[in-house]
Amino acid sequence: MNSKKGLTVLLTTLLSSAIVFSGCSSNTTKSGSSSSESPKNTASSTAAAVKSDLKPYEVVMVYPDSTQRDLEKVQNAMNEYLKSTYPEMNMTVKLNPVDWGAWGDKTNLMFASGEKFDTIFTANWLGFESQVNKGALLPLDDLLKQYGPDIEKVEKDYHSGATRGGKIYGIHTHQELGGSQGIVVRKDLAEKYHFDLAALAKSRKMEDLEPMLKTIKENEPGITPMVGLPLPLEAYFKSGKMEMILDPVGLVRSNKDFKAVSYYDTDEYMNLARLTHSWFKQGYINKDASTSVQSNNDGWSKMKTGNAFAIAGADMEIVSDNSVPAPMPIRSKQVGMDLIQIPFNIDSLRTRKLADTTQAISKNSEDPARAMMLLNLFFKDAKLLSLFNYGIEGTHYVLKNGQVDLPEGKTTDNVGFYHDNQWQIGNQMLNYTRVGEDPKKYENYEKFNKDVAADPSIIFGFIFDSEPVKNELIAIENVRKTYDAGLNSGTLDPDVEVPKLTSKLKAAGIDKVVAEVQKQLDEWRKANGK
Amino acid sequence: MTQRANPLIHVLLLLTSLVCLIPFWLVLVVSLTEEKTLLRYGYSFWPKKFDLTAYLYLIQDATPIVRAYGVSIVVTVVGVIISLAITSMLAYSISRSDFPLKGIFTFYVFLTLLFSGGLLPWYLVYTRFLHVQDTLWALIIPGLLSGFNVLIMRTFFANSIPPSLIESSQIDGASELRIYFSMILPLSLPVMATIGLFVTISYWNEWFTSLVFINNQDLYTMQYLLNKTLLNIQFLAQVTSVAGGQITTRPPLESIRMAMAMIAICPMALVFPFLQKYFVKGLTIGAVKG
Repeated sequence: MNSKKGLTVLLTTLLSSAIVFSGCSSNTTKSGSSSSESPKNTASSTAAAVKSDLKPYEVVMVYPDSTQRDLEKVQNAMNEYLKSTYPEMNMTVKLNPVDWGAWGDKTNLMFASGEKFDTIFTANWLGFESQVNKGALLPLDDLLKQYGPDIEKVEKDYHSGATRGGKIYGIHTHQELGGSQGIVVRKDLAEKYHFDLAALAKSRKMEDLEPMLKTIKENEPGITPMVGLPLPLEAYFKSGKMEMILDPVGLVRSNKDFKAVSYYDTDEYMNLARLTHSWFKQGYINKDASTSVQSNNDGWSKMKTGNAFAIAGADMEIVSDNSVPAPMPIRSKQVGMDLIQIPFNIDSLRTRKLADTTQAISKNSEDPARAMMLLNLFFKDAKLLSLFNYGIEGTHYVLKNGQVDLPEGKTTDNVGFYHDNQWQIGNQMLNYTRVGEDPKKYENYEKFNKDVAADPSIIFGFIFDSEPVKNELIAIENVRKTYDAGLNSGTLDPDVEVPKLTSKLKAAGIDKVVAEVQKQLDEWRKANGK
Repeated sequence: MTQRANPLIHVLLLLTSLVCLIPFWLVLVVSLTEEKTLLRYGYSFWPKKFDLTAYLYLIQDATPIVRAYGVSIVVTVVGVIISLAITSMLAYSISRSDFPLKGIFTFYVFLTLLFSGGLLPWYLVYTRFLHVQDTLWALIIPGLLSGFNVLIMRTFFANSIPPSLIESSQIDGASELRIYFSMILPLSLPVMATIGLFVTISYWNEWFTSLVFINNQDLYTMQYLLNKTLLNIQFLAQVTSVAGGQITTRPPLESIRMAMAMIAICPMALVFPFLQKYFVKGLTIGAVKG
């Protein structure tokens, strides 16, 4: 009796304290967000006096990277440089890289806890959508206008990828606007058998690769004619034949009728899947292709062992002429043998691509204006960009004929700072090239960008809001996971398995997704007069 | 009966130990196999081409590993000592039937087994209230007290220490602290060893606190270092197809990952046999009523 009473009392106290505490916490978050808003005002008021002295401010940069031993040295060098070159901005940076593997957990906690940080790397494959939905990012339109002249100079026309609800939430890195996919083969073997790669590049038909695979299979025992990249069929197919809206729904490129379909229902998909399967049956593709896709034991590392001939559906390197077979300098170096790329397809300008690599400003920033000033510097100051990307000259890299190389006797593992993710921030074209790369790499990029920009996708600017079909998408994703590896590697017979797959997708609600896509697409067309 | 155990049990135990040992063996073999052979033929139970590169590589660039080892050891040792102290004090208090708030405290401990505050409040307490991020305390404090351990200890104290013993000490004039340190602790070695081992293992295996709280690479623990490399590979494998091959970060070689795993296992594999004799005793006494 007594203990029961005690229990009641305890539970009541617990409950009430829980309520009090939760009340507290929601209060603190509220005050937290309001306090993060008020500095915005002070920021814009101080911003009027840019030329006069701003209060010192530390811009915290969050981005994914593996651990760098000399991070602090680089940070100090950046700060010294900022101090001496841009004293009027009165700012320092704090580099806060987050490990790739910890990225999701850590950034979510940082956002949610109201921890102070300013710029953050984000992308549609790193949760950009949900960050915008949660209100974790600041809209950048006004800031861009005021503090981003150098960003606007190169990226003005390319904000659509990161625009949501009419507001810009991310700044696209100025880089290549698309990619190019095709086939990669080993140079030595291609020369040995006098393969006509130029003809293949001209016809751009996967089928025309088959005789070469056959020759290798018959004459080179121990060499796998074709090894799988993660999803070779998909990579090539999605870029070349479809305008993807969200996997697996898109528009077939050849019919410009704005009709959304699931790609598993298209003839193009079936043809490629059948071809892949027939190659697999004839032994042209490695037997473990479906599992090596999952373990990241991908085609490139298989190439490295020296017993593979070709990879289909790979991303090409951007070279001066992207329509003919060409050497692949960077990959060749990685793999340790000469490779030749045979381009099949050049991307058109796609909205999705423009949200692949962006920098955003966090709502936890105490001075978004200063954050934007820093971002702008990365679009104009090559010196700052090199510090961030390559580290300190002489310590972490040396210049050889204007190209970046590792210092004598150092490897990427022991040099102390090997960030090498130039695609993450700023104007990538301002960077040095690496030894081994085409010194004209960025000229090639500019030229390539002209080609891409001249060929915008018919749905350029359209962004799908996946919120209404969120649950269906999860179910669909689960179905696809069980089939994709098998189909993409050619292990499964598409004539048997694809019907099973599509019926399961139906049960998962694919029709609803297609209808939703169609609906939003029609609305977008009406609004944009397409 | 006791002399000749059932052969079926032997077979079962043998199978169970095999199931435990085989993966261990595989990891060892992979760590000793040449990388190219691995890429070509995959894993095997006998090294096709024996090779020590992975270990040599780790020795050559040993600073991060040695540091992580040091952090792990410090965290584990300090953590276990503090954890045992507060666990036993709490458990002892609520095991005394003459402690008036016994019920409330027991229930409070029990409640933590059923409900937790969730990730975000947990994170907020440590970063905003205690400000321990990027210090060793961030690795130690979260693992200090586990309700489960407290309850095991409480049962041990309640059942194996006769109240009359405490009473007689009190009559002899011993203070509560004196009783606790001179009577209770020496009598409860088995349970201390058992819980000590539990806590040791959980500290040694902990990586999530490092992931969440630690940015300074000098404070990475061994397990986090290992986990980080594995997580990174998994993550990169997931996103490379989406990011269009833009990520150039090379995943570390397979054999190096396995060699790291072997190195991380070592201390636990060494500690376990020495504590094992207490293990059975402490756990059974702590678990069985009567």
